[in-house]
Amino acid sequence: MTTPKFLAAASVLAVISTTGLLAQQSKGDVRTAKPINQSDLPSQLRPEAKIVKGYVPPKTAWGDPMIAGAYTNSDESGIPFERPAQFEGKKLADISQEQLAAMVKQRQEQTVERTPGLSEFPGATSPLHWFENYRAENSRAWLVTDDTDGKVPPTTPEAAARAAARARERSRHGPADAAEDRSLYDRCITRGIPGSMMPAIYGNSYQILQGPGYVAIKYEMVNETRIIPLVSASNNLPHISDKIREYLGDARGHFEGNTLVVETTNFTDKTAYRGSSEYLKLVEHFKPIGPNTVEWSVTFDDPHTWTRPWTFAMNLTKVPDAQGPFEYACSEGNYGMHNMLTAARAEEAEIKAAAAKGIVKAPSVQDPDEGEK
Amino acid sequence: MGRMRHAFAGLIAAAALALVAGVPLRAHHSFAAEFDESKPIKVTGTITKVEWQNPHIWFYVDVKNADGSVTNWAFSGGAPGQLMRRGITKEALKPGQEVVVEGFRAKDASNNGFGQKVTYPDGRNVFTANAPNQQ
Repeated sequence: MTTPKFLAAASVLAVISTTGLLAQQSKGDVRTAKPINQSDLPSQLRPEAKIVKGYVPPKTAWGDPMIAGAYTNSDESGIPFERPAQFEGKKLADISQEQLAAMVKQRQEQTVERTPGLSEFPGATSPLHWFENYRAENSRAWLVTDDTDGKVPPTTPEAAARAAARARERSRHGPADAAEDRSLYDRCITRGIPGSMMPAIYGNSYQILQGPGYVAIKYEMVNETRIIPLVSASNNLPHISDKIREYLGDARGHFEGNTLVVETTNFTDKTAYRGSSEYLKLVEHFKPIGPNTVEWSVTFDDPHTWTRPWTFAMNLTKVPDAQGPFEYACSEGNYGMHNMLTAARAEEAEIKAAAAKGIVKAPSVQDPDEGEK
Repeated sequence: MGRMRHAFAGLIAAAALALVAGVPLRAHHSFAAEFDESKPIKVTGTITKVEWQNPHIWFYVDVKNADGSVTNWAFSGGAPGQLMRRGITKEALKPGQEVVVEGFRAKDASNNGFGQKVTYPDGRNVFTANAPNQQ
């Protein structure tokens, strides 16, 4: 009975019970999640994210607002992307600090509950020290900031046709026939933009660097530096030719007051974020809102994909430079790729051997894009 | 009955995932694509080599078998950056050291594995920050 599959289902049931739903069904039928020993939880070294109304950041030697520093957004792990149904009709600003605090506490418990791979659970697969997103002190109730309905807008028929074509193409080969079947993330190439700044279980470290005429952002996972030339009245830098396409796109920045605004175009069709097209125009705002905090908001303008532009936002929190990005030179020992391919070959051999004995064995279900977003 | 309960649990699981789906909690590689959680392994042996490199560290352990032969096992661990932020450096694992490794075997049935829990002979966790040897 204690198969991993059952444990996974059971832990999810436990999550439901914490939300107060279906508590009756879960009674007596669910593994009681052993409480994580608090002293085993890795502590995070983060300054307090103090938000100051009307905050004015210091200036660099050449007069740009100062946003440089090492940052993390591990604290934003686990925030629902869209407005949860329970807040129907509400705007982000309607959620009180008390409501948010209660929600954050519940999410912290859920993060532990819904990760049956933790070392405290039977059948665990991942040790605690892998997780940098425990006790995430979320800054908000959900991510999409549009006050219309707090949802990502509907996609266009063109986007649906594109997704169907992709799925057809994918179905022509297995999830791990060759390295090219794995995601760009598995292959240590890129998580794209904004994927490179979406919090994962670890690797949520960034370094913002500034120089006259430039801002650069180093993303720990998977080890990329994005150069953002700043445009000004005297230095109008048009985007590169639309014939040139880049994984991270072509970025141009400028300051509006103390906020860094970055417009990125020239994406490829290989780094779709939530199904975006290569014609996506992404506009990011990096707004200093306190001595240790920058609000990062991201607007998607892509008529080839969504019926209207939409925006999500989260906070980046400063950390000591020593806790900043560590070189994640992912290709230097990516044995994972080898192991995934040999695992797929081993499974094929098992299926074949079973078939020879008249047993039909289904291949395990794998999401080839797992880890991409 | 058991089957029905499983089907029900599956449905509930899907509903619950929809409820709690937030920013995805993802590691770099999918554990399930590489390792087999139905094949746990526990060995005691001597470290022969440590590759403190990205995206995951790997360390190799010579393990004496019952027949006197020796097998060299390879185990993966966390990413150097994530370990560094916990104050765990490559000093934590050294060739010649004896360790106990509990983990899961690779799906390809090779001598590769996922090092889930690694301890020194005295029981201390290798990857626990603030262990006396890492202060």
